[in-house]
Amino acid sequence: MLLLQLVINGLQLGAIYALTAVGFSLIFGATKVFHVAHGAAFTIAGYLFWWIYAVLHVAWPVAALVAVVASVVFGLAMERFVYRPIQRHEGAFFTVFIAAFGMQIIVQNLTGTIFGRGFASVTTSLSRSVEVLPGLFVAPVAWISILVALVFFVALSLYLSRTHIGMAMRALSENPDLIRVFGLDPGRVAQYAFGIGSAIVVPSAILTAMTAGLNPAIGAHVMLISLAATIVGGIGSLRGAACGGFLLGLAENVALWRFDPQWSEAVTFVVLFLFIVFRPAGFFGRPHAAK
Amino acid sequence: MRLVRSLLVVAASLAALSAAKAQDVIKIGADLPMSGPNAEYGELFGAAANLAVEHANADKMLSKKLAIQFEDSQATPQQGVVAMNKLVSVEKVPFVLSAFTGVSKAIAPIGDKAKVVSVNGGGIGPDLAELGDYFWNVIPLVNLEIRVMAPYMVQERGFKKIALIYVDDPAGEAVNKELEQNVPKAGGQMVAQLQIPRNAQQFTSIAAKVRETNPDLVFIASFGAQQAQIIKQLRDNGVPQQLASYSAFASPTVAELPEAKGALFPSQSVDWKAAGMSERVARDWKAKTGKEPSAYVANYYNAVMVFVKLAQALEKGGQPINGENLLKQRKANGTFDLVGGKMEFLPNGSVSMPIQINEVDGTGAGKIVKAGTMAK
Amino acid sequence: MWAYVVNLLVLISINAILAVTLNFILGYAGIFSIAHALFFGIGAYGATFAAMKLGADFVSATAFGMLLAALISLALALPALRVRGEYFVAASLGLQMFAITVFTEWKSVTGGIGGLTNIPPARILGFELTEPAHFLVLSLACLAVIIIIIRALVRSSFGRSLKALRDDEVAASAFGKNVAVIKTMAVVVSSSLAAIAGSLYAFYLSFINVESFVLETSIQLMAMVIIGGTATLFGPIIGAILILLLPAGLSYIPHLPATEIGSIQQILYGLAMVLLMIYRPGGLWGFQEKPKANA
Repeated sequence: MLLLQLVINGLQLGAIYALTAVGFSLIFGATKVFHVAHGAAFTIAGYLFWWIYAVLHVAWPVAALVAVVASVVFGLAMERFVYRPIQRHEGAFFTVFIAAFGMQIIVQNLTGTIFGRGFASVTTSLSRSVEVLPGLFVAPVAWISILVALVFFVALSLYLSRTHIGMAMRALSENPDLIRVFGLDPGRVAQYAFGIGSAIVVPSAILTAMTAGLNPAIGAHVMLISLAATIVGGIGSLRGAACGGFLLGLAENVALWRFDPQWSEAVTFVVLFLFIVFRPAGFFGRPHAAK
Repeated sequence: MRLVRSLLVVAASLAALSAAKAQDVIKIGADLPMSGPNAEYGELFGAAANLAVEHANADKMLSKKLAIQFEDSQATPQQGVVAMNKLVSVEKVPFVLSAFTGVSKAIAPIGDKAKVVSVNGGGIGPDLAELGDYFWNVIPLVNLEIRVMAPYMVQERGFKKIALIYVDDPAGEAVNKELEQNVPKAGGQMVAQLQIPRNAQQFTSIAAKVRETNPDLVFIASFGAQQAQIIKQLRDNGVPQQLASYSAFASPTVAELPEAKGALFPSQSVDWKAAGMSERVARDWKAKTGKEPSAYVANYYNAVMVFVKLAQALEKGGQPINGENLLKQRKANGTFDLVGGKMEFLPNGSVSMPIQINEVDGTGAGKIVKAGTMAK
Repeated sequence: MWAYVVNLLVLISINAILAVTLNFILGYAGIFSIAHALFFGIGAYGATFAAMKLGADFVSATAFGMLLAALISLALALPALRVRGEYFVAASLGLQMFAITVFTEWKSVTGGIGGLTNIPPARILGFELTEPAHFLVLSLACLAVIIIIIRALVRSSFGRSLKALRDDEVAASAFGKNVAVIKTMAVVVSSSLAAIAGSLYAFYLSFINVESFVLETSIQLMAMVIIGGTATLFGPIIGAILILLLPAGLSYIPHLPATEIGSIQQILYGLAMVLLMIYRPGGLWGFQEKPKANA
């Protein structure tokens, strides 16, 4: 029974990881920008939701909406004012990385200054688990997380395959010039990628606020996991990022069945390292993207 | 841009240097985390220390005004060392407030060499008692706390099976070792000893493992944001058992957490209603922050007051206020009337104080459930 | 005041060694590693072990640390041979995070978070270095030696091969360069020289723990290299000076609220990173590179 419990915990956590990973993978796959500040979008969304809902006691749909708007604005602003100018110069991937990382530091500290450095959580009955079977405790938030993740993924797949912008996003990573030929502006398509990618972290930020709670440094942690999930799943594959997220969530929890807790995070990174050495394309990635 | 920035730094340094020379205050230092994940402790300790400074100045306890020079340790050893060096070499303070075991261990040799006193009021690792003559502790170290907690939990409250979740640092390990020794001695049993990394945030599966062992009480040895997450997630995941911890539960975050209600934790004996210093501190703290003070407030208030009282004695004796004299004075007379009663320094610079056991009840200090007793 | 300056200079020289050695693989070879703090740590723990358990003097202890770093750097060289760019960053990240767990858990050797205290002072030819000013001479000497070594390597044919690899790996191998050997050697050199910084750090502070060798440290080192200027000899040193002086300089500005000083420092540091990358990505000392031609 412990094992089943761990699996369910793993899926709940995996859903949260998968959402952030897909956001990151979408942005990276479409624009080739290593958006390390993705964790900052998570932090902004989570804290705004917490502040508006738990502190100001405004209805949660309003809080969620504000979180989405803020996160999207942040993503768009990063693209327009930070990444695009850099890419005009020389766009060395590392330059982008450092700029994004600098932004992550700024957001982390501003959050701490404005909202306090302690731990912020949203108290809700949704995180209280119920004993569905003897020894098996599941909280409503578990079902909600998995459901939300699935809904968003289905919606995203449809968007990418059915709409023009969606298809343009998939083309952008392969051949930006081709997009211009068809009359679309790569800059606009990039903006869409950043907008959607940043919006999709909002549900996972809200879910995290309800379960594990937030602290200003959480962006960095979220970023590490997103990165690991994207690589393990395969760069360029959203399906891969989602699977990677679920896999990492499962690994982190199921590892407790046999290992001591302090090694559970190490498991994640050993998996990441092994994948890169032996199968850099990940599960679903395109093999040529390795070099 | 590089040139401009270097010029700015030089200009700022010169300005500050001249300002420092012109000051007519008695300065002590504080090497606390002002930024980073542990900044909430820095804020708390700093505010408590500042309250002591206010009182000392209002009562004109020293010949000049007292002031604290705060430096940011970021709770890491390297930054703590840079900050300590600044306090010792530039600000030339005789006395520094410290916190966090890792930082304290790194700065102790510097204080030792420069004959500057460092005082810890927050860290509880037992190795803090071994850091030399110039490193003092005003908080009873965790081994003493556990020696009082273990018999209380097992014998007086009947919690025989104890599950422990402890963080992977010297404090957590000390708790583990002490519980391992003292719980069986009191007639109880450790049914689980789960060690977690310091930056862990997800505890649903730890909760599952705890459930498996069916304990009477779950003992948490963590600190900061993490301990609050552990409490919340344990409660959310089918662990309704009694909770307990060491003095780290005296933090404001835990005090306000609804899921923590009823948790037991030790702290040094502080009767905030006792007339005189304790009552005044409680009153002023409540006026400033709107909250009841916790044991940490008492510790850092006391740490500053120790300096003030020692410095007073030195001034009366016409001696200069420096680290060496402070140490000599403390050795000559190491008992002080402070918040919480009489505090006496042991030869190794740590203190033995009566330890009381509290229950989290939503206020800052909690409800006292067992009055102060000395650890055996 | 002088003691404070000496302290800063020692830390600057230690970080400069790390930045310069990181630049060797990052700037010259195009191998983007976030695992450099790991070799800093191995050098520190190795030297401490040699000094405390084997009674080694400074040179032997440092050599021991360098040997360990060289061996373990082969683990980093492995992904370097297979992938580039963002993939390699992720692999080095994985290695760094795993190493942190090992540093934290292997308490009998590393002391975990509690760390190792009372490290004996560095001993050279029987002379014990206890004065910070004397130690500064040692650390500056090490920095100078390392700069000379790196400079020699960069200007040698090995260095030219590295740059060729960075710019176009396929072409380089077509010219008969043994890519695998060159990359591995670059990683080994960079890591073992970084271990020297670790040894200096351990002897200087007399206390080391895992908190000094975490991901944030690696990132800070990367920032020093990028901000100061990649593929230049002095760029990383400028970067080290700036990044270490910034918190120190800020602490002198009066009227900053005490509780926010740390945050303000970090915000400025982050802001510097962002602005520099937008307006001067070649770093402060480096030259502006020509815009990349479209693929």
